Amino acid sequence: MWNEITEKLHEVLRNVMPQVDVVLGWERGFNPLRIKPVVVRSEKDISRLVWNPFCVQNLTGYLVKNPAVIAGEGKKVAVCVKGCDSRSLVALIQEHFLDRDRLLIIGVPCQGTIDWRLVMKKIGNTTTVFNAHIEDGILRIEHSGGLEQMSIESVLLRRCLRCAYPNPVIYDVLIGETVTPRIDKSELYRNVAQFEQKSLEERRNFWIDVLSRCVRCYACRNACPLCICQDWCIAERRDPKWVTQRPTIKDIFIFHSIHALHLAGRCTECGECERVCPVGIPVMFIKEKLNEINLRLFSYEAGLDPQAVPPLLTFNPHEAGI
Amino acid sequence: MTPAKKAKKKIEEKIFIPQEKLNEVLERLSKHFRVWVPVLSSSSNGWTVEFRPFTIESEPFFTRQSTMPPKSVILPQGETLFQYEYVKNSDDPSKQDLILKETINAEKTLVFGARPCDVRGFVICDWVFLRGLYLDVYYKSRRENTLFATLVCQDADDACFCSSVGGGPGDMEGSDIRITSTSEGFVLEGLNDRAKEVISLCECDPPSEEQSRDAQRIQEEAKNRIIGSLDVSGSVEAVKGQFQNMGVWRDIAESCLSCGVCTYVCPTCYCFTITDEIQGLKGERLRSWDSCMFHQYTQEASGHNPRPTKLERYRNRLGHKFCYFPLRYGGVIACCGCGRCIRSCPVSIDIRSAVERVKEVHSNACVCS
Amino acid sequence: MEEKSTTSANEMKIIGFLCNWCSYGGADTAGVSRLKQPTDLRVIRIPCTGRMDPLFVLKALISGIDGVLVSGCHPKDCHYAVGNFYARRRLEVLKEFLPFLGIDADRFHYTWVSASEGQRWQEVVTEFSQRIHELGRNPGVGTKTKTENSVEAY
Repeated sequence: MWNEITEKLHEVLRNVMPQVDVVLGWERGFNPLRIKPVVVRSEKDISRLVWNPFCVQNLTGYLVKNPAVIAGEGKKVAVCVKGCDSRSLVALIQEHFLDRDRLLIIGVPCQGTIDWRLVMKKIGNTTTVFNAHIEDGILRIEHSGGLEQMSIESVLLRRCLRCAYPNPVIYDVLIGETVTPRIDKSELYRNVAQFEQKSLEERRNFWIDVLSRCVRCYACRNACPLCICQDWCIAERRDPKWVTQRPTIKDIFIFHSIHALHLAGRCTECGECERVCPVGIPVMFIKEKLNEINLRLFSYEAGLDPQAVPPLLTFNPHEAGI
Repeated sequence: MTPAKKAKKKIEEKIFIPQEKLNEVLERLSKHFRVWVPVLSSSSNGWTVEFRPFTIESEPFFTRQSTMPPKSVILPQGETLFQYEYVKNSDDPSKQDLILKETINAEKTLVFGARPCDVRGFVICDWVFLRGLYLDVYYKSRRENTLFATLVCQDADDACFCSSVGGGPGDMEGSDIRITSTSEGFVLEGLNDRAKEVISLCECDPPSEEQSRDAQRIQEEAKNRIIGSLDVSGSVEAVKGQFQNMGVWRDIAESCLSCGVCTYVCPTCYCFTITDEIQGLKGERLRSWDSCMFHQYTQEASGHNPRPTKLERYRNRLGHKFCYFPLRYGGVIACCGCGRCIRSCPVSIDIRSAVERVKEVHSNACVCS
Repeated sequence: MEEKSTTSANEMKIIGFLCNWCSYGGADTAGVSRLKQPTDLRVIRIPCTGRMDPLFVLKALISGIDGVLVSGCHPKDCHYAVGNFYARRRLEVLKEFLPFLGIDADRFHYTWVSASEGQRWQEVVTEFSQRIHELGRNPGVGTKTKTENSVEAY
């Protein structure tokens, strides 16, 4: 099935190639579980592109981060997006970082993306993976230790298990059939509510525990398509110095709070921050709370309407209660 | 330093620690050493393994290479070089005196269960901190007080390539004790005089003949295994030759996020920054990890940045490991082949194929011209 | 925060961010009118509550400051017309967010006091200081860290 969709993708791209300069897509990495983003500039390279549940990366950041992938005069950038990625695009268009007219958005409905770590945990981590095949929700892995089967559901990234928008919300071409969301919108913040059952001290200790692993590699920040300060992040500024270089929990707390607050009302929950963390910190969970607040106070969900203004970039003089 | 207590019993060079006795032994050792062991992090997705100081609740985890190397044992993520305080000069109130306090503080440390590649990282860092132009006293004091009990590696996945860069799963360079994990427990062998104290403190029996044979077999297997197929020869010339060819660096690093994952999980990346962290009249000079993947790393006071984008930065990382370092330190490749940068890279950039690509482009260029 | 303190033992550390045009004037009015106020508050003057970065509040509370008070012009009365409208949303989001990290939201309060409201200022400060005294010292976050490789001084 994924091969067919990949072929469809190639076909669509060959058709639109005259309008576009560059294509942002995914290609196979060093093993079948690991996909890497790729920028394709000529028609002959289109065949490198793939689309399958291992295509975890959100590519929209490459459109805005230096050196940004841009198209020449009168041409477009084609970009492949899953449901969550498309919401990042909407947010970037809202904030005028991107011009919708210069984009050719290729939407791919997503059945969930796979966490290679969970797969490796299941098949034993000391093997070489030769082949990964997905059919009807079952993942079959051929590796040097033999053959292993598992359900896709058991190896999905956390972000995908709580995904309410698997279908692109904005696109020019849609490849494949739309899929039913895994959860209903009303259930999005179930985990947040559950966490809030804990006492203040328990919550603080939870964060101290998980954040004590943070090495401040800033991958969560750099992978976020909406973290647009890039090289000028407040966390690394020396004057004024808000965060010291000390690896103490206090500084790590401040960094992650800044990161989350700068995304309040903007975060589209693509979950890249959490996926890229080398030490497994649930970084997106912090942002989920902020999104829950924004939904409750301002009835706003980020990245759905290109015309809307994020709630913290505007105000309403008449709102009462706050 | 006090001389090691003379043990009454004859010191066994080789001992066996049964699986169920491991924590008991480590606890005994932790009375004399600060013992670091790899442990599985709680509250993560059950994947992250890091080195943490041993406590009685620790459950050492040896079945997988640690996510973070034990680098921070010798090169902490942040360390105080010295503390200082400004005080009023009692003779001349218009002047301030500066009180400096040295903070070198190296405890006797044992890293239990590192892998050959992890230890090789320190062997490579030694070139810079101990054998280079300057002697780093902070590094030196910690290095001298740290012993490594290294696990013969029986695990490798498709990101590992230790054999390609001079190491190997049984390589014991830089290690003091060899640990061979067998089905029932661990065979420990002292490799030098420093190890004797540790071995005797374990208070364990020597291995049975069968256990010895088991260990021997595992060591033999490790010795014969070739992990990885990268050929690094010619990398120095290739990087030098293709330095200005931004096309090849764009092919390799266009998808780079410019985050610090690869450098922070790397046992051989030692770059640091020095900052003064001051509050009121008291402060400290801090040395902390830095990464050549960051914009700030090469930012100059004038505002100019000689490595303005991720392409130049990635070129530097690869070039440093496979070109500049070997040029300066007698051909030593500054990579231990642990594969962590490949495994942990959020966008699956593979340093092996990057080296191969540069070499390939270089050799093609040579043929044509 | 281990500096030698000139404050008495039971005094709390409270930071007040006051808008230049209203609340700072209000506090002045209270002072000129000789209204009795608690002494725990340290005032930082800001040009407008629109200048309030939630980071100011967070850093203070994480560092172990006992309470943070933000006060500006009444809504629709901002010197810069809309600064406090933006601030109102940001600060409310922050207030809702703090407990998620395990920080007591009661230690943070934002309100509006105009330059002529000396009396109201006295009430605001008295009430907030009282609340902080009831809550006691703020432990802050991570005075002890789990990462063993942290600097000795901490």
